Amino acid sequence: MAARRALKAVLVDLNGTLHIEDAAVPGAQEALKRLRAASVMVRFVTNTTKESKQDLLERLKKLEFDISEDEIFTSLTAARNLVEQKQVRPMLLVDDRALPDFTGVQTDDPNAVVIGLAPEHFHYQLLNQAFRIIERSVYLMSITRSSYVMDKLEGRLHRLLLDGAPLIAIHKARYYKKKDGLALGPGPFVTALEYATDTKAIVVGKPEKTFFLEALRDTGYAPEEAVMIGDDCRDDVGGAQNTGMLGILVKTGKYRTADEEKINPPPYLTCESFPHAVDHILQHLL
Amino acid sequence: MAAWAERLAGVRGVLLDISGVLYDSGSGGGTAIAGSVEAVARLKRSPLKVRFCTNESQKSRRELVGLLQRLGFDISEEEVTAPAPATCQILKERGLRPHLLVHDGVRSEFDDINMSNPNCVVIADAGESFSYENMNRAFQVLMELENPVLISLGKGRYYKETSGLMLDVGGYMKALEYACGIEAEVVGKPSPEFFKSALQAIGVEAHQAIMIGDDIVGDVGGAQQCGMRALQVRTGKFRPGDEHHPKVKADGYVNNLAEAVDLLLQHTDK
Repeated sequence: MAARRALKAVLVDLNGTLHIEDAAVPGAQEALKRLRAASVMVRFVTNTTKESKQDLLERLKKLEFDISEDEIFTSLTAARNLVEQKQVRPMLLVDDRALPDFTGVQTDDPNAVVIGLAPEHFHYQLLNQAFRIIERSVYLMSITRSSYVMDKLEGRLHRLLLDGAPLIAIHKARYYKKKDGLALGPGPFVTALEYATDTKAIVVGKPEKTFFLEALRDTGYAPEEAVMIGDDCRDDVGGAQNTGMLGILVKTGKYRTADEEKINPPPYLTCESFPHAVDHILQHLL
Repeated sequence: MAAWAERLAGVRGVLLDISGVLYDSGSGGGTAIAGSVEAVARLKRSPLKVRFCTNESQKSRRELVGLLQRLGFDISEEEVTAPAPATCQILKERGLRPHLLVHDGVRSEFDDINMSNPNCVVIADAGESFSYENMNRAFQVLMELENPVLISLGKGRYYKETSGLMLDVGGYMKALEYACGIEAEVVGKPSPEFFKSALQAIGVEAHQAIMIGDDIVGDVGGAQQCGMRALQVRTGKFRPGDEHHPKVKADGYVNNLAEAVDLLLQHTDK
């Protein structure tokens, strides 16, 4: 790896890596302290569609992790950043608990839809409302595109609409496990809206490249100077490695035997748990 | 484009889509599209064979035909090819016992089907019944099957009601496909078997038949795939962009069914 530079930033997944639901991974608080004592920046990254940053922070505090709000980057943050960057007015088809992360976002007369896991909102009327919003935006974009060719409209207006983001998905998980069995994730409902409007959603969560780049952005460091630690081989490790980071897979949380064989190239390192990953970083990557 | 006489030469049979061509559905049943009642009547007085070919899966054929009769249409149940009866035939042939994710209005079509211990899921335009809970139940049934079978009554993206565009079954079918990693079997337009069964009912060959519909992909594209000709009407869910569709080009675009029938009677009744 010729392009590799000295390690400057460490991205850490939350649930499954630092803690499992309401229990900390043994030794994780101590390990985090040791990592912070070294000269690296730490960011905490997670795919969540229903927990606001505040909720995450409260749980981490209860588990006695020393973490501040501006160190957390979630798929909801990524969605909000995209909404602001594209200057769209979204209908928020997300769990009510996620709404605090969108405070201040303009949602009147919506021209886009942000969709996360929100079973209580996934009924026909609301999905149909979302469908109509996306359909209308896609249609307006298509008209603008063709009239641009004919009338040579002002370039700025044209770009704004062309780059529109009518459908933003927090992530596209197919289903998840509940105590009483499998339950549909947001992915199927995103797919339904994609098909009905003949348009592709922009997915903002892990394993998307932009997610990792955005998470690193305010550290000022490049992917070649960063490592990602997580329990999901595809979404954490594979996604991060695709951007040029190193990926460390921990055998906690959702890890299942032989998960490390699921991606090519394989994880940079597979180890028992977060404290082992920190030991490796301190001994070999600094 | 060639003259109408050339485009319509040799047509002996006509397949008519219902929603968006005969009427727009909506609250209180819906409204007939201007000129369509007379157009159907004229067509039926002509030597041309006529068959109604619909993907309507919210209502039973009886309910649909009753509604159209009240709007003034000359139509009977025996003249309608619809996906629910076609599905029942498939279920019986293959010994399938369905879990139904359908609108209450179409349930009666499945009255003589065994639904105990389901070994497949049948999904139709369920409208308000497309709740998260109902989708989840269908998903769980499929995930418990060794060979999950999903049958979808049509795969339309959306249709138009008087209040605006409405999500059709297609999106929900795609949702279950994506969740389970399977591919649904579609009964209804644009599946070739469905068009063929409609043609068989009036004894007309595909090359002698023309489809009239408002859906550029499901009606026009599907019929053309079967070797039929097809006209798109500028009513129902028609959008101006349809006339420049990247994949499908109709054999003609007409303002409404009345204009289509004018042209057919003028150029085929020789």
